Amino acid sequence: MTNILIQGLALSGLYALVAVGFTMIFSVGRVLNLAHGVFLMLGGYAYYTAVQVFGISKGAGIAIAVLAGAAFGILTYTVLVRRLEHNPIAVEISTLILAVVMQALIVVVYTSAPKSMWPIVPGVFRHEGVFVSHNILAAMVLSWIVLGGLVVFVRRTRLGRALRAVSMDRKGAVISGIDPHRMSLATWAISGGLAALAGVFFATYTQLTPGMWVAPLIIAVAVVVVGGIGSIVGSLVVAHLIGFMETVTTTLVAAELRGVFTMVLVIVVLVIVPKGLFGREEL
Amino acid sequence: MQLRTDRALAPLFAALAIGVAASLAHDARAVGDPVKVGFIGSFASDTGRSTLRGAEIAIEELNAAGGVLGGRMIELVSADTREDVTEGIKAYEYLNESENVDFIVSGSIDDVSLGWFPRMAEYRTPTLDTWTSYIGLIDMVGEEYEKYKMYFMNIACDYALGTLYVDFGKDVLGKQMGWKSTVILQEDTAFGGGVQEFIAEIMEAEAGIKVLDTIVYDTQTVDFAPIYNKAVALEPDFMYLISSVNSQVPSSQYVKLQVPVAMTGINVAALGLDFWNDTGGAGGGISTLSPIPAVGMELDDSSKVFAEKYRAKYGDERPVFPHFNGFNAYHGVKNAFAAAERAGGFAPLDDWVREMENTDVKLYKDGEFWHRYAYFKPGEIEPRTGREFVHNIKFDLTPPYDDGAPSMVVIQWYTDGTAKVVYPPKYASGEFSIPPWLQ
Repeated sequence: MTNILIQGLALSGLYALVAVGFTMIFSVGRVLNLAHGVFLMLGGYAYYTAVQVFGISKGAGIAIAVLAGAAFGILTYTVLVRRLEHNPIAVEISTLILAVVMQALIVVVYTSAPKSMWPIVPGVFRHEGVFVSHNILAAMVLSWIVLGGLVVFVRRTRLGRALRAVSMDRKGAVISGIDPHRMSLATWAISGGLAALAGVFFATYTQLTPGMWVAPLIIAVAVVVVGGIGSIVGSLVVAHLIGFMETVTTTLVAAELRGVFTMVLVIVVLVIVPKGLFGREEL
Repeated sequence: MQLRTDRALAPLFAALAIGVAASLAHDARAVGDPVKVGFIGSFASDTGRSTLRGAEIAIEELNAAGGVLGGRMIELVSADTREDVTEGIKAYEYLNESENVDFIVSGSIDDVSLGWFPRMAEYRTPTLDTWTSYIGLIDMVGEEYEKYKMYFMNIACDYALGTLYVDFGKDVLGKQMGWKSTVILQEDTAFGGGVQEFIAEIMEAEAGIKVLDTIVYDTQTVDFAPIYNKAVALEPDFMYLISSVNSQVPSSQYVKLQVPVAMTGINVAALGLDFWNDTGGAGGGISTLSPIPAVGMELDDSSKVFAEKYRAKYGDERPVFPHFNGFNAYHGVKNAFAAAERAGGFAPLDDWVREMENTDVKLYKDGEFWHRYAYFKPGEIEPRTGREFVHNIKFDLTPPYDDGAPSMVVIQWYTDGTAKVVYPPKYASGEFSIPPWLQ
């Protein structure tokens, strides 16, 4: 039981960090960014290059990764999404193609061979026969801090309130003098940075591969669909629901069925509560 | 009347003349044209590239020596499987239908080989596999010889790998380490299922090691903490990993989590010299079964020359050292052409198959018999297992391995970044060890 509790909490924190940027972009821009996993992948590779290739400190490596993610988010929005945002399907298709192209570029630069990364926080926590790496615990704590900060940011700061305004009523926000494109740009930058941070922890926890963008994208889609597309709180709650469900499945049922129950949950929620458990489309 | 008849026959004569001319032209092209070898495998994987490069070097050597089959040059054409069954089938079709290859060398994984296998039987193309070890393919050759006789497997099949691995279990894991129980962690693949079944069945009977449980996991699994926690909770003496597709995640997480139980088994990521860098120098304590010739294994004189050429040609481009299938592709391509020379070509198929079955190349290390490339013939019974392995590379499952090389060795990675063979004793240059946090 302790095992499930610790593992579930650790995994859920990481999932929440993975999913929250995805839901923000939908909430503000009303588009699904299927290149979201690429932000994670870029974060992981940027950190790897900075720390394990050039020997830069881990803190600086994380900062570089977050900046790279944010920059790529801005670039994606400016060059691609802004021109297509009137057509959500075109955005979905083009971001998916972008993901595939980026994967190919990563293969060209880094080859397709997986790379194992040193943990950011080395060591292992042991309790009652359960062992969890300090790295994933750090990811969990950091994700809570970041997500808590994000909630405060969107509710208490001027920019955050402007983002909420656009997510609630785009036309009303424009009338109030808010530039929705600037808000979208900020959202893509924040989403890119958060995803890159998640990518650093995800990669140091698992491994770095050019195909690593797919699993986080599936997690993000599952979390936001079940939680309610656009709801940060919904995403946080459902990230924990899925994290615990996967841990329970692996530990008590069968490891090979790990992702199956998540997909079943997505289908059930889509059929019974199409708007998600927390049914909102604004932040 | 006569004139009219001649006129009537004129088109026929013209057609015949064109046909004869075309036929002569075809024959002339057959003599001067290159012999086409197809490579099928994953361009992106280390294992795929090992096979491709082994074949490339063999072909370069054959061409440099004046060509084959009466001075014809060999041309290599490649088709990418992307380690995907559908892509593999398409690749096999491309090599045959578009490139019209004479011979195929494969670096495909088990599931992909299984996919194109029926196509091979249709095209009747001589094919040599260097990576797949699935015994189901060998059994099909034995059971439907006429249909599948063009297939040769240049690596000991998983049944043979498993048989010798049980000896390692008995001698090292049981006697030397005193271990009595294990939990199997099995990747959900055809290869994994086959090996798990075999190991679970005979590990206890032969080596006295009880299998407490088998945890099957998906190849895309990225979080092994719950799996390791579950395995450790069963309190085994060691864990047995069977991973042939995505071995790096369980390896690196095993090290990062410092899982408090030893682990050995089949870990494909650890089969190449690049493993050390890939794990960020955290691969010490990992051991794995490896087909031969393995990384860390002393090489026969001929394979040593190949390895030197490989390093000179490819430098730091990964894989920086050929995996076992690189060696098997190099020797396999040369043996296939030697058989073709004796048979007068790759066609008629029966002649080439007969000569391949007669292949017997013995390789020596400093005068000592070390490795052998020969193939089991139909009806030939392997003495230890009492069964047939038609067209599988000839292996020897009984020390001192003087009838063929052993089917596998066990290699051990150490904390200083070196890898050595630890079993069987004849080929061993190091000692089996457990990770530093367990010592």
